[in-house]
Amino acid sequence: MKASRWSARKRQEWATAYAFLLPDTVGLFVFVFLPILYAFYVSLHRWNAFSPRAFIGLDNYAALLADDRWWHSLGRTFLFSAVYVPLLFVLALGAAVMVNALGKKTANAVRTMILMPFAITSVISAIIGVFLLDPRTGLINQLFRQIGWPAQQFLGSPSQALYCIVAVLLWINLGYNMVIFLASIKEIPRDYYEAANLDGASGWQAFRYITFPLLRGTSTFILIVTLIGSFQVLDQIMVMTKGGPVNSTQVSAYYIYKVAFEQMNMGYSSALAFALFIIIFVLSLVQLKLLTRE
Amino acid sequence: MKRGKQAILLLLASLLLVLSACGGNSSSPSGQNGGASPSGENGGEGGSGGKSGSGERIQLTFWDFHTEAEQEFFERMVAEYNAIQDRVEIVYSTSSQSDYTTAKLPIAFTGGNGPDIFMISPGDFMKFANAGWMLDLTPYFPEGALEDFLPASIEAVTVDGKILALPYELELLALYYNEEMLKNAGVDVPRTWDELLDAARKLSTDTVAGLILPADKEPYFNFVWYPFLWQNGGNVLSEDGKTSLFNTPEVAEALDFWGTFFREGLSPTKLQQHPAEIDHIGSGTAAMQIVGTWAINRLEQMFGDMPINVAPIPYPADGKPATDAGGWKFAVNANSKYPEEAAKFIMWVFAEDPERALEWATEIKFAYSPRQSVVEAGKEIYNKGLRKVFTEQIYDTAIPEPRYPAQVVDIVGDALQEVMFGRDAAEAAEDAHQKLTKALQELQ
Repeated sequence: MKASRWSARKRQEWATAYAFLLPDTVGLFVFVFLPILYAFYVSLHRWNAFSPRAFIGLDNYAALLADDRWWHSLGRTFLFSAVYVPLLFVLALGAAVMVNALGKKTANAVRTMILMPFAITSVISAIIGVFLLDPRTGLINQLFRQIGWPAQQFLGSPSQALYCIVAVLLWINLGYNMVIFLASIKEIPRDYYEAANLDGASGWQAFRYITFPLLRGTSTFILIVTLIGSFQVLDQIMVMTKGGPVNSTQVSAYYIYKVAFEQMNMGYSSALAFALFIIIFVLSLVQLKLLTRE
Repeated sequence: MKRGKQAILLLLASLLLVLSACGGNSSSPSGQNGGASPSGENGGEGGSGGKSGSGERIQLTFWDFHTEAEQEFFERMVAEYNAIQDRVEIVYSTSSQSDYTTAKLPIAFTGGNGPDIFMISPGDFMKFANAGWMLDLTPYFPEGALEDFLPASIEAVTVDGKILALPYELELLALYYNEEMLKNAGVDVPRTWDELLDAARKLSTDTVAGLILPADKEPYFNFVWYPFLWQNGGNVLSEDGKTSLFNTPEVAEALDFWGTFFREGLSPTKLQQHPAEIDHIGSGTAAMQIVGTWAINRLEQMFGDMPINVAPIPYPADGKPATDAGGWKFAVNANSKYPEEAAKFIMWVFAEDPERALEWATEIKFAYSPRQSVVEAGKEIYNKGLRKVFTEQIYDTAIPEPRYPAQVVDIVGDALQEVMFGRDAAEAAEDAHQKLTKALQELQ
């Protein structure tokens, strides 16, 4: 008797849970899954957004394999991620540990300062970036001249532009990721540190053997979300470089945008977008597997 | 099982991010104009929509990119038109030029939410024409109006016998220079390519650019380069637009000449303000700039005390002078619910009473009207100050800006940038020729 009453209650809980989830699920289905399926459907066609769609099977995917620009853009995307993701991770974690070690008032002030740029719209942040990095009149080059360094071309240089965009994105996103780390650090019981202190552990040892291992879940989350985000960077590139100079910042998301909205090749761009989605998905899966391995 | 769930969760997360990124990008272009930008299909600013109380008027959306005096002109036209008739209400909104044809319009049109009335430039013309987004305006010209337009200006907007847009300005490029800086450096006004390069070398300093040229890839980038190409006897495509002519020494020389300015640091590879803005030379951060007729009015209003003068774009010693004639055109959405009403409005603004066309081309901005009667009526203004140089020395050398497909614009832009950053010009030209040939095959 008792058991069945338990399960009745459990069933009710489930029903309530699903009732709460239903609106979200429907929303996801209508606004996320249907468009994705539609994009895949479109990717099997030749279509300029206005003409009738002509079914061409997997031709778009075959074209993609032979498209030098696509491979170039993927190369730039991987380079961007390889620089951006580890840097953001280390800087955010470092900032969180530092802020945590400060007194309460100072910590609040510093935290707010680091978080503030996150409130800036992406386009505005990019425009600020362009101003700061201007080769002739930008503040950064003026600073360089003051301390006797040679002025740099920054966004006007094929070898520097990508790293400048990394820098602007770090500046924007550092605060948000720091706050997530900080919240997790605050959840680590103080007893552990007190015990470590009694055993004579140094600050670094406390970080290495207590903080870092206990942040594993948060670290996994941040790495995966940052990696996915880094594959989709677009706004800043559109504003700061338009993919240039010499396509050095033409990452995949921007190339897809160009094929879609400059060349009006919706079928092919859908195929590219779908391929990028598969790449992100597989990479995230691999990452998750590596990071959660016991 | 657990792994399966994890995979699904991850799939969800990555899908969400893919989409949220997409959403973010379509909203950001309109955000760039700060709070003033319109919310698109919802009908723009509340102020102009205030008349909706009168009930049954047809609402037509008109999206524009103009600012300042030019924006005021169109606002005034819309208000006037809304007042003189009560069938149609035009709702005007404007957004930044850099997003207008590259993001705002294409995104709206592909989503089926394009405005009824919009502007189009030659650099993007074929994209819109091929997509079938522009209404054939031929039946809507008022009687006798078509004959008043320069034949070349109508030809430039005609595809398969259909007039797809209404030309209302011809904008010519020229070399603007700071007389005082030239004098101080002991440089004469450059007339040939060699003199231009030599002048730029002498005028460049740490904070003053020798010559401002566009550096970012976009249709305007190619637009400014074409005169150099034509002066040297080269061209991108054959007359019929079907074959590439890019693998010639003339093309390579024009590419190399352009690239030299960037390789030697005489022209900045990155600009804070758009290269079409006269403010570079106006604010004294540049000694020379290639820019068009549109700059004259702003120059007089904002930088009247700067010693700035105009000359034809220098040409090779063994070449011939040439400049590019660009200019925006008015167009009507082919899918508009009320095409006739929309077409009537644009004809009212620029094809009927010459007063409005004249005001636009002389007082609001400086450009040449494609209507012969308007140029005749404005004779006096066309000979005022710097305008005289355009009228007497430049107008006759103008070649209409070619309307190439987006793929061609992109390939030419790539070749230019490669040469700017050190690639051998002949190699870049040959490479671009191969790509053009392939792209033209695919387009046919």
